[in-house]
Amino acid sequence: MQTVTIPTLSTERLTLRAPQAIEFATYRDFMISPRARFIGSFDVAAAWREFAAGMGHWALFGYGPLHVVRDEDGALVGEVGILNHDEYPELELGWTLFDGFEGHGYAAEAAYALRAWAFAEHKFPSLVSYIDGENAASIAVAKRLGAVEDPGAQKTDPEDVVYRHSGRGRLQ
Amino acid sequence: MSLALDIPRLETDRLILRGPEHGDFDPLCDFLTDPVRSEGFGTEKNRSAAWRWFALNIGRWALHGYGYFTIEIKDMAKPAGISGIWNPEGWPEPEVGWVVYDGYEGKGIAYEAATRVRDWAYDSLGFTTLTSNIVPGNTRSVALAERMGAWFERSYDNVHMGAEMLYRHPGPSAAQEGAA
Repeated sequence: MQTVTIPTLSTERLTLRAPQAIEFATYRDFMISPRARFIGSFDVAAAWREFAAGMGHWALFGYGPLHVVRDEDGALVGEVGILNHDEYPELELGWTLFDGFEGHGYAAEAAYALRAWAFAEHKFPSLVSYIDGENAASIAVAKRLGAVEDPGAQKTDPEDVVYRHSGRGRLQ
Repeated sequence: MSLALDIPRLETDRLILRGPEHGDFDPLCDFLTDPVRSEGFGTEKNRSAAWRWFALNIGRWALHGYGYFTIEIKDMAKPAGISGIWNPEGWPEPEVGWVVYDGYEGKGIAYEAATRVRDWAYDSLGFTTLTSNIVPGNTRSVALAERMGAWFERSYDNVHMGAEMLYRHPGPSAAQEGAA
């Protein structure tokens, strides 16, 4: 029997912890909504695949997605994750906010905590974020994290810009 | 928190059924991206889509405590196929599924594996009934389902596969009396 420890991380306002099966409904509603347009095109079945594949990451690699909960009221505000899908040239640090939780800085706060854990725990040389070039809100998060655009980085989607995280950037 | 991946290791006379491992991906990918062989299971369009299936199957074990086992023939230490319990979003109810890879057909591997998986689901997971969803025209799978004692119950539209035939397996006590 294999046991994988999924960390629980705390920030000033948020708790990052393992996704739970019961939270699929919230995740699904986001993934099939227009808000997910920069990630891809999903129906319910595709959303389920993505959700379960995220959990598979933890078992396969010891990293993966965490759900972000707001301490003040327990609301599930989004997801951050270290992802290693087969088509990715490099490991990705990703973030997503569910509907209604934008504009509070939650994505950067959560991604910063996960990135710090990832560099400390796994000693990655760097991480990247693949962001649709039109996703201005997400590019702003990458910049707040101190990530730097890397025009030479490999990518699978030509519409993406790639931001590189060194692990030294501070939250701005 | 800890994520316990409690995937049992099951044995039959000739087979080992165990949890998926990294090295299982390539043979699985070969199967999933082969449109002829995977027609009745669900073809993946490329390697990255097949990789998602590989990862989500493990995620399924983590989330729900069941999924597809990797089938190995004893002493061969190479994947010969997969068999397991499957009930993703959009499925009518949990099913027993089986796949035998290229070169392993005709040896009764699927029957031996799927029967063991069904017994495990009844004994250890507490299922009281199980189904198998089979695409019309997949006569080999129909023959196997019938050999396992299952019978055609109805047709329905599967979210991924379109029209499928739902076969109903005998319940726990009947299955253990021997379905063949």
